[in-house]
Amino acid sequence: MHVSAYATSVQPASLGGLRSAAAEVAGNRELFYSLVRRELALRYRHAPIGVAWALFMPLLTTVIFSLVFTRVVRLDTAAPYPVFAYSGLLAWHFFASTLRAASTSLSAHGSLITKVYFPRELLPLSSLVTALADFAVGAVVLGAMMAVFGIRPTVALVFLPVVIGVQVAFTAGLAFLLALGNALYRDLRHVVEVVLTLWMYATAVLYPVDRIGGIIGGVLQVNPMTVIVEAHRSVLLYGELPATLPFALTALLSVLVLAGGWLVFHRGEGDLAERI
Amino acid sequence: MNRSGAVGITVHAVSKRFVIGGRPETLRDLIPAGVRAVIGRRAPPRAERWALRDVSFSIGPGDTLGLLGPNGAGKSTLLRILSRILRPTTGHVEVRGRIAALIELSAGFHFELTGRENVFLQGAVFGLSRREIAHHLDAIVDFAGVAPFIDVPLKRYSTGMVARLGFAIAAHVDTEILLVDEVLAVGDAGFQRKAIAHIRRLVRDGRPVVLVSHNLERLAELCSRALLLRDGRVAAAGTPAECIAAYIAGDDLPPERRNGRPVHIGALSLRSAPSMRCGERLMLHLAGVVSPRPSECRTTVAVRVRALPSEEAVFRTDAVACGAMLPESGAFNLEIGLDMNVGPGFYRIESLVGEPDSTSEWARGPTLLVRVERRPATVGRAYLNPAMRLLGEP
Repeated sequence: MHVSAYATSVQPASLGGLRSAAAEVAGNRELFYSLVRRELALRYRHAPIGVAWALFMPLLTTVIFSLVFTRVVRLDTAAPYPVFAYSGLLAWHFFASTLRAASTSLSAHGSLITKVYFPRELLPLSSLVTALADFAVGAVVLGAMMAVFGIRPTVALVFLPVVIGVQVAFTAGLAFLLALGNALYRDLRHVVEVVLTLWMYATAVLYPVDRIGGIIGGVLQVNPMTVIVEAHRSVLLYGELPATLPFALTALLSVLVLAGGWLVFHRGEGDLAERI
Repeated sequence: MNRSGAVGITVHAVSKRFVIGGRPETLRDLIPAGVRAVIGRRAPPRAERWALRDVSFSIGPGDTLGLLGPNGAGKSTLLRILSRILRPTTGHVEVRGRIAALIELSAGFHFELTGRENVFLQGAVFGLSRREIAHHLDAIVDFAGVAPFIDVPLKRYSTGMVARLGFAIAAHVDTEILLVDEVLAVGDAGFQRKAIAHIRRLVRDGRPVVLVSHNLERLAELCSRALLLRDGRVAAAGTPAECIAAYIAGDDLPPERRNGRPVHIGALSLRSAPSMRCGERLMLHLAGVVSPRPSECRTTVAVRVRALPSEEAVFRTDAVACGAMLPESGAFNLEIGLDMNVGPGFYRIESLVGEPDSTSEWARGPTLLVRVERRPATVGRAYLNPAMRLLGEP
């Protein structure tokens, strides 16, 4: 008699272990690659200069703010302003475009969710990896800008994967929550837009926030995205490791956000086919 | 019945409740709900529907289970729970084996992408690796018959081509358990033959198959066992013939009586066997009363034959057309004969009151169910009373 290696149990919603959820995601990595490939293929099909499109917005913002903060108001930054701004925008865009795409990742794939079973985590995660691809393209441009402004990377660069890892964990945790949230409440994505806009100005993307005092300054300092963006600049531009305590705390927070977000997602995903 | 560990599915007392409405779908909807909660008003009532109630069964190697029942009986819900798309509200399902669900064959398709890209994407949805798909690509394209269009975006394909491609991919998934939901209804006759041959092959290999179909003849032919669902409960379980009989018996429509009609049908009964072969004559007896009130419109009784379960009306005629004039008033008895020159299947004979030579239906009388069986070596939706003979030497 044929005995199968596969065995699954379909049960009412329960707080299943994340380990089995992660194992299932890993078991479906082929589908995951296909989803990412599809995202990229569709994007670059409709814009023949697709790669340029991924770079266009950060570059445009960099040019505008460079004019403002070098010609109109002089701003003291630790690196030449265009490089300072572009590096911040690059990290920020990775974060923001993941969350934007992840918010609609479930609601846009309603037909897939109601008709086929697969671990639903793959959809927000593929939004993240697609944004990571844009980040990689942008990093090449940043390298070129650093060369133009004569900034040499130091050995601190080897710490960059850790910084990116922390950002990925933080972003993925939020992406899970927003994907599920927007599947249940269709207008959440509008709120996401507003919050992301405000959040960007509360982050050290286009200007340093370390000299802002008072309560506002305090809030801006503990903002985990400020810590992450500054960590990018530390290892890339300043050639030093990020400040230990804030970065360690942010890393811990990111792991907690990831675990919490995934748990909530895992608990809610079973009812998605009925609610989408 | 199954040794644990053998490929199969065991369903333990599964129930599924759907909540209809009453649930906020946007954050904006949450505002009135929050206000209601604050001022202590009760939320609008939610409707609940139990799509499945306490369903248990188990299938193992070599079993082909047919699910049948009227629309809304819970067949699709059950299939979607087996394939993990939905979670049961209570109870649980054990699945031992890699499962492939032919529920929606084009679910993973993206119409902007080419056929080839879609094969890879959809193959991944079904759990195939990129290498496996590359290995099967030629066979899939060939099976689907879309070779010249494989690098064309899917939006240029016809509906049939999309369906064939979907089935071709699913057919190349090395599945251990197969769930099929009415997908055989798509595609032309040639494609359906291919699809059925594929399912037969899996059955022969001893793979468990769960099949939902409204085609009762096909269900009887393909399945070794059947389950009749009605209002989410198991109404019958056993051989396909037993379940089909139970399904058909419960399908008898209650007579609909409307007052004020000048003709009333009291009874409709069989004068021949309820089961016959293609082309045999069905004899009926209809008893009714014509009310003495004068009526402005011409009224007569009619019989209509519907194929089940598609409900397609295949024939209608009335007493006037057959040269039987009803009396001006009082009781009447009508003998009706019909040559059942139809294909094999189940048919409902309906009696009704209406205008002669029309499709009007003012009142429905009693109905009857009959079964028409296939004659050896004949196939088709009609029975054309064939005759062939060799003529002498030219």
